[in-house]
Amino acid sequence: MRRSLPFELFRYAMIALALALTLIPILWMASMAFKPIAEWSASGADLTWWPKAPTLDNFRYIFGEQTTALIATLDRTATKPILASLLAAVFGTLIAMSAGTAAAYGLSRFGSGQNLPLALTQLRLFPPMAVMIPVMIMWAFLGLIDSWWGLALIYGIVTLPFAFWLMKTFFDEMPKEIEEAALVEGCSRFRVFMKITLPMMRAPLASSAMFVFILNWSDYLIGLLLTTKEWVTIPVYMASLSSSMTGQLYGAKAALGLIAAIPPVILGIAIQKHLVRGLTFGALKQ
Amino acid sequence: MPPSGTRTVATDREERRLGFRLTLPTQVLILFIAVFPLLMQLYISLTDWSPLEGTGWWRAYELWNGFANYTDLLGDSRLWGALWRTFVVMLVCVPAEFLLGLGLAVLFMDDFPGKRVFYSILLMPMMVVPAVAGYMFFMLFQSGGPVNGILSGLTGLDVTIAWLSDPTLALVAVMIADIWQWTPLMFLILLAGLVGVPEDQLKAATLLGASWGQRFVTIMLPRIRTVLIIALAIRVIESFKIFDTLYIMTGGGPGVATETISVYIYKVTTQDLIWGYVAAIALVILIALSVLTVLAMKRMAAAGGRA
Repeated sequence: MRRSLPFELFRYAMIALALALTLIPILWMASMAFKPIAEWSASGADLTWWPKAPTLDNFRYIFGEQTTALIATLDRTATKPILASLLAAVFGTLIAMSAGTAAAYGLSRFGSGQNLPLALTQLRLFPPMAVMIPVMIMWAFLGLIDSWWGLALIYGIVTLPFAFWLMKTFFDEMPKEIEEAALVEGCSRFRVFMKITLPMMRAPLASSAMFVFILNWSDYLIGLLLTTKEWVTIPVYMASLSSSMTGQLYGAKAALGLIAAIPPVILGIAIQKHLVRGLTFGALKQ
Repeated sequence: MPPSGTRTVATDREERRLGFRLTLPTQVLILFIAVFPLLMQLYISLTDWSPLEGTGWWRAYELWNGFANYTDLLGDSRLWGALWRTFVVMLVCVPAEFLLGLGLAVLFMDDFPGKRVFYSILLMPMMVVPAVAGYMFFMLFQSGGPVNGILSGLTGLDVTIAWLSDPTLALVAVMIADIWQWTPLMFLILLAGLVGVPEDQLKAATLLGASWGQRFVTIMLPRIRTVLIIALAIRVIESFKIFDTLYIMTGGGPGVATETISVYIYKVTTQDLIWGYVAAIALVILIALSVLTVLAMKRMAAAGGRA
């Protein structure tokens, strides 16, 4: 359309500015993760954008190695929180995807559960903060506090609306002819779902699961309220990583932040074309 | 399903039964997380119960106080302050994210070299774990941090602003972090809407001599109205919940300077432990949001019907 030179220059200038603003916070943390302790809080004229003496010490430190005499070794390393985040997010995704996919198919093909769209949309819009008191009481009663399985259960429920809506839009779009052919062959409805529909939907299932995993992995508040010690998640652990003894452990936290930030960014780029669908509950597609 | 002529009562029944079974787990989970907890919340909100009582929540009736919690919250200036601050954040961040996102989306409407790579990079902030984003901005806004470093470089002065310990600047810093993280979401959704605008209409308008501004207002804007509403609705609702980034950056401080509604509820829940009172606040918020949700859903359903 408009391809005048001034416009192109303006466009690239604006995009360059946007890219710089987008990347500065990310790159600052990435660079901090490789800085030795002497450079952590360098400021003013000493402010270094790139580590002068790059090191992996910060990564070794959060996994329990003594890297410098200046700070004491951690008594709780990052290994368990990483495991906690992984287990809770993976099993939470499994719960959300199983229940959500089944319900989406039931509604899409048989019109069952007409109340679900509204109920699940409300569930997605509620601030978690506003239902946490009963959840904390229930979780304590069921002995689910401070466990990855307790977190997985609540994650599964919180992200269920996303799994449901994503899969519903995919089922709605899927051509029904193949299913119908199998039915004529004499397969039962359930067999068709298990043996024909689900295998055909492998790609949409994978994209939806990745989307749901990103959401589960990103949680902070629920982990903060429902875990205390054994199974704290990465963000909760990260926030607790500094003390009056050590001060702010900039480099160590940045290293952990980098580890936490990488999986969702990679998955997010992989499912880019489904992001709009997931975020708008299928009201919009790319 | 078989051609309609051969449909039998048996298939109908089989389908209804299967549909019921498939939706059952989700229905149970909704009951488990919404209906039962809400009743519990309503019950507790009518009492003075706190986990420190040492009695189970079901015995909260021993501390019955009727609607005292609800009348208390009307006079709770800290609550109203938090609510007000939440709205300030919303009123600054959502329009800023919207305008920046729209501007970027317009730049990305047609093809140009490097588009795909730039697009992927620009979407990155919304995929960063919010708590980690909070930590990024915590570092950036340290008095010896890079924000002051850049300002020093630009002005030639030695800038050492203590962003996060100044009441006003802390709020500004928190809002900048929110805008950084969520402008990509606006950009993504608005671009999806703009791409759907038919090119021939734009070409025809250009041939008729319409300026870019005219084309934007008369052709693009009406076409993407639905998208606009959806994008704004999502961000308004999400910004109401703002917690992770903000809490990591400032913990709601200095004092209560950045205490939004979620931070306030979190603090009253975990520090003051007056759960009866928190339950009352939470219920009022839930009811208010439910009404808004139903209205927004109707809007979306109407929009979906048109698309």
